[in-house]
This record gives sequence, structure tokens and C-alpha cells, in this order.
Amino acid sequence: MPDFMVGDKAYEVDEDGFLQQPDLWNKEVAEAMAKTEGVEELTEDHWKVVNFLRDYYVEYQVAPMIRKLCKSTGFKLNKIYELFPSGPAKGACKIAGLPKPTGCV
Amino acid sequence: MKRPPSVKTIAKGVEPLAEVLWEDQEPLPPPFDKADTEPGFKRLTEKAGQTLVVLDDTIALNIPVPESKEQEEKLVNGFISGLRKSISAEDNWTFLQPFMLSLEHCAKCQTCSDSCHIYLESGRNPLYRPTYRSEILRRIYLKYIKGKSRWHHGDIDLNWKTVTRLIELSYRCNICRRCAQTCPIGCDNALMAREIRKIASQEMGIAPKELHENGSVLQLKVGSSTGMNSLVVKDNVDFIDEDTSEITGIEVHTPFDKKGAEILLVHNAGEIMAWPENVGSFSLIFQQAGLDWCMSSEAPAYDGINYGVFYDDVQFARTAVRHAKVAAELGVKKIVIAECGHANKALTVIADRLLTGDINVPRENAIVLLRDIVCSGKLKLDPSRNDFPVTLHDPCNMVRLMGIVKPQRDILEAILPPGRFREMEPHGVHNFCCGGGSGFAIMSGHNFADWRHHVSGRRKFRQILEAFKDEPMDPEHPKYVCAPCSNCKGQIRDIFAYYGATKKAGLHYGGLVELIVNAMVDVKPGYINFEDEM
Repeated sequence: MPDFMVGDKAYEVDEDGFLQQPDLWNKEVAEAMAKTEGVEELTEDHWKVVNFLRDYYVEYQVAPMIRKLCKSTGFKLNKIYELFPSGPAKGACKIAGLPKPTGCV
Repeated sequence: MKRPPSVKTIAKGVEPLAEVLWEDQEPLPPPFDKADTEPGFKRLTEKAGQTLVVLDDTIALNIPVPESKEQEEKLVNGFISGLRKSISAEDNWTFLQPFMLSLEHCAKCQTCSDSCHIYLESGRNPLYRPTYRSEILRRIYLKYIKGKSRWHHGDIDLNWKTVTRLIELSYRCNICRRCAQTCPIGCDNALMAREIRKIASQEMGIAPKELHENGSVLQLKVGSSTGMNSLVVKDNVDFIDEDTSEITGIEVHTPFDKKGAEILLVHNAGEIMAWPENVGSFSLIFQQAGLDWCMSSEAPAYDGINYGVFYDDVQFARTAVRHAKVAAELGVKKIVIAECGHANKALTVIADRLLTGDINVPRENAIVLLRDIVCSGKLKLDPSRNDFPVTLHDPCNMVRLMGIVKPQRDILEAILPPGRFREMEPHGVHNFCCGGGSGFAIMSGHNFADWRHHVSGRRKFRQILEAFKDEPMDPEHPKYVCAPCSNCKGQIRDIFAYYGATKKAGLHYGGLVELIVNAMVDVKPGYINFEDEM
């Protein structure tokens, strides 16, 4: 498994760059991963999405429905794509330290 | 074309056997007909190319290059041992007869090549002929199992390269079975690809992690390959009910676990996560049509997926039996499987080889039932609400495998204004696969998604563009691709995103039930909202 470096700290990621141990996630990891997903800086709006994903995942051990994410943050899907060009699943979930979504999603 | 491979080259060298080059491929129709309108095909990293078995431009399986003689022998012996089981009645209780007929009777006429979207769109690279992998398997069988003369039947070297590349090559086929349909003597080269996958998975423990670890194993463990347990599913469906009620102005309630109901509706749970409007539409239509139905909150019956059907009979059987048992315990009259092609294949068709006695609950495809509802007059419909161009993608499992061709067209005729529907060519039982079939739509390791977009999905994208060729290809004129299958929808969504087809050409996609609800008079207008997708 490849490593993702934040400063001199190594985090194990899968071949698509998703964190292998979601518990090790922190703000610095999010900021560093954002850069690999075409997000230069995490603004307040970005954090609103990331925090919602994170909180939901910690509670249910699975990513939320995209529609739930939109409703809770008040952002339409196109706004989410504006914030995270690689999309809610591949981009926002990765930055929030969730594992890669599975199944037919 | 660089290095067109012959059957024998599979056993030699470590270089890729084929490379798909843009200049070998037929250009797409406008507005994607120029080199600069196509995104570049991401290449494999150097590291992947050195440490993993390489067949062509991409990698599906992550088979490590063996590091010792023992590891090499283990691969070869495992394959031969699996192949022996594939030809024995005790071990191959699902497909022995069609497998043996296909293994022994190809006339090598190559008629099937021109039916294969992957071969055609690769720029006709011989590696992707439906017969290429079959011929290698056949020669291994004849030489190493049957001991037949290589002078009669053609020679093949059996080594770890032959075996691992052949397994990787079994994941360059969508198992759409268009080749089987066109074969003058009925050889099923798609089945051959699946039997290779089966040998790899059941005997050698080699399978794509999206289908196995994160797929069928996860489903059997928590109930769904999406990772949703029973509570999350119910919570999400409650949310969908609320959302659908708000959008449509009709109070919607999805019943769960209703003992003795007429119908158990089984969705692909991916719909719940990614396309909740599909789930909401089903609930609304069934409710307004007055059906006696429910969903199940019992694992794994809230997720109709059964990835075993793509690669492993044991995983397939474990899941199908559990699906059927939940239905039998609920005492429903029949299981209805929603808009998911492979779930229909698994439970309605292949499970016929498996389910007996009281778990042999009748199973039906939802489109047939939807047709009866729409044509019964139970729903008040106003086709003028669907006043935009629509084309239909036929999921292979529903048309070619199950013969369901007319019901979806009867529905479209009842819910679209005259002149708005146009067929893709070819369509119905002669359709082309979306390019995401047999699990590809959820596989995206390395650059596999790029391969899907540039090769396996290219014919479908071409067909969609051709179907709308008389329409203005701009975002101001939304055009709808109706794809009543989760897997196909995922693939079409990915292609559209990859090419920027929604923003650039106004292409949208969705299921069939959404179009029905959009035409319902009692529903607030504008159920399908193109602007949200832009």
C-alpha cells in the first residue's frame, strides 16, 4: 500500500488515495488531501461539507446519501461539484478521511 | 496499431500485449469528434507496470508478479486444477453444458468479433476479440487436460504469464453476450470469460476487490455492498419518503417487512445512496397504484445486488439463497426486482438453477409490472410534462437475457408526447452494452475508469450522440437517456462527467420510473429538474 505524506508523517492510503485507517484523520490530512483533489484551500463552505461527512461517518460507519449531504449543508449538487471538482464521493469523502465508497454508487 | 498480439504471444515477454491508440479508434460524433474534445487516456504508473501483471493499458486485478519458481508454479497449477473442476459435473453445477459446448465447438469464423463493442471501439485490436481468450483457454484444455495433438488444435505454452494475463483478460469483457447471440453455432464466449473469472476466484482467490472484498463479502457481512446496515437503510428510506413527499406534494410512505404482502420489492441499494429519486419514484407509483407491497429491512434483502453473478458461483449462491429465504419467511407472493440488470439476472434467471422447495418464491422484473400499472389507467398521466427528447438504453440482462423489450417501450409511449422518443441503433435484443457491465461500472482502480470511458463505454456514448444527432447539442436543450439499471446509470453518469457531456451538450440520464412520476398529473410539475444536475 502506498503512503501519503503530510510533513514527515506517513499515512497509509489505498491505490486511489483514500485513507486506509479513517481514525487517523485530522485537519492537516484534510488540507493536504484537498490539494490532490483540485482544492487549493479549504474554505468555510468546504469544511461544512467535510464536517458533515465526517460526523455522519463516525456515527454510522458509512457515507451519507448525497441528497442528505445536500439537504444538511443547504448546498445543491452543482455547488458541491464547484467546491469539490472530483465530486462528493471521490473528492469530498476522500478529504474527509472516509474510505472509498463501495457498491453500485 | 502497435504490436497486434497473436494467440502465442500471451505466454511471452512482460510488455503490454496491446495499447489502445486514439488514432486507431473511430472518432466520436460531434461535438466530441476532435482530438482535443477527448480527455487524454491516463497511463499506468511505472511502479504498477513493474510490480503487477500487465496485459494492456490498464489493470483490473492487481496480481503481483511472482517472485519465485514456487509462486509461478502455484499460479499454473491452481489454474489447471480450477479448469478441471470447471469441466466436472460435481463442481460446475451451474453452467457445465453451455461451457463444454463452447469449449469444444468454436468454428473460428470470427463472426462474433464484429458484434463486440470492446473489440470494435479498441480500433479492432485482436487482443479484444471474443475468441482470443476463448481460444487460449480451449488450447490449454485440449493440450494439458485432454492430451490432444497440438498439430490438430494449435499450440499454446502454459506458464504463469499465460495464466495471469488470461485471467486479467477475462476482465476486458462486459459479459453482455452479444457475441453469443451472433454465433452461428451458439458458442458463448462471454460465458467462457466468466468461467475464467470463476477459476480465478474459486480456486485461486483472485478477484477484483470492488466485486469481492468490498462487494459480495461486505454484502454477506453487513447486508449491502454499500456498507449500509438495516438501520441505516430504514433511516435513509424514511428520508427519501420525506423528500419525495415534499417534492411531489403527495404523502409517500414506504412499507417495510409486511407479512404476507403480495410483493417484496428489492432495489439495488446503490439507488438508495446515489439515486434516491429512483427509490422514491417506485414507492410513489406502487402506493398510488394501490399495490400490496413492501421492502425488507432484513439483511441482505434490502440490497438486490449479487456480484457473485459476475465472477463466483459460491458467492452468488450464498446471496441468492439468503434473498429468497427472506421473501419466503415474509410469506410474500412474489419478489419484484427493481431497475438493476444483474440483480434481475441473478435472482430471476440464474437462481432457477439453485432455488427449490419453499424458497423457490416467484420472481419478476419490475418493468413488466410497471407496464401493467401504466397501461391499466390507475395513474393519471400527462405526457406533455415529459416534453424533451428521450432515448432508451436497454440493459443487456433485461433484453438479451430475459427478452423484456416491449414493456418499457409501451410505458414510454404512454408517458412521452408524440415524436419525443427516438431509438438508439441497434436496440432491443441487439443493443450494445453500456460498457459498465459485469461489474466494470464500479471498478476504478489505477486507470480502469479511463479504459471504461475510452474503450468499453465508447460505443454506448457514440450511440447516445447519434440518437440525438438532430437535436441542438447544447446545455439549453436538455436530452434524457433513460437507463433502467443502476449499473448502466453509473457508467453513463461517469462517461457524461468524463466528457463534460451535460454542460457541453445537455445530456442527462436517469431511470424509467422518474419519467413516469414526472408525467403524473397529481404530482407537482417539475419532478425531473435538469438544472439541479448541471
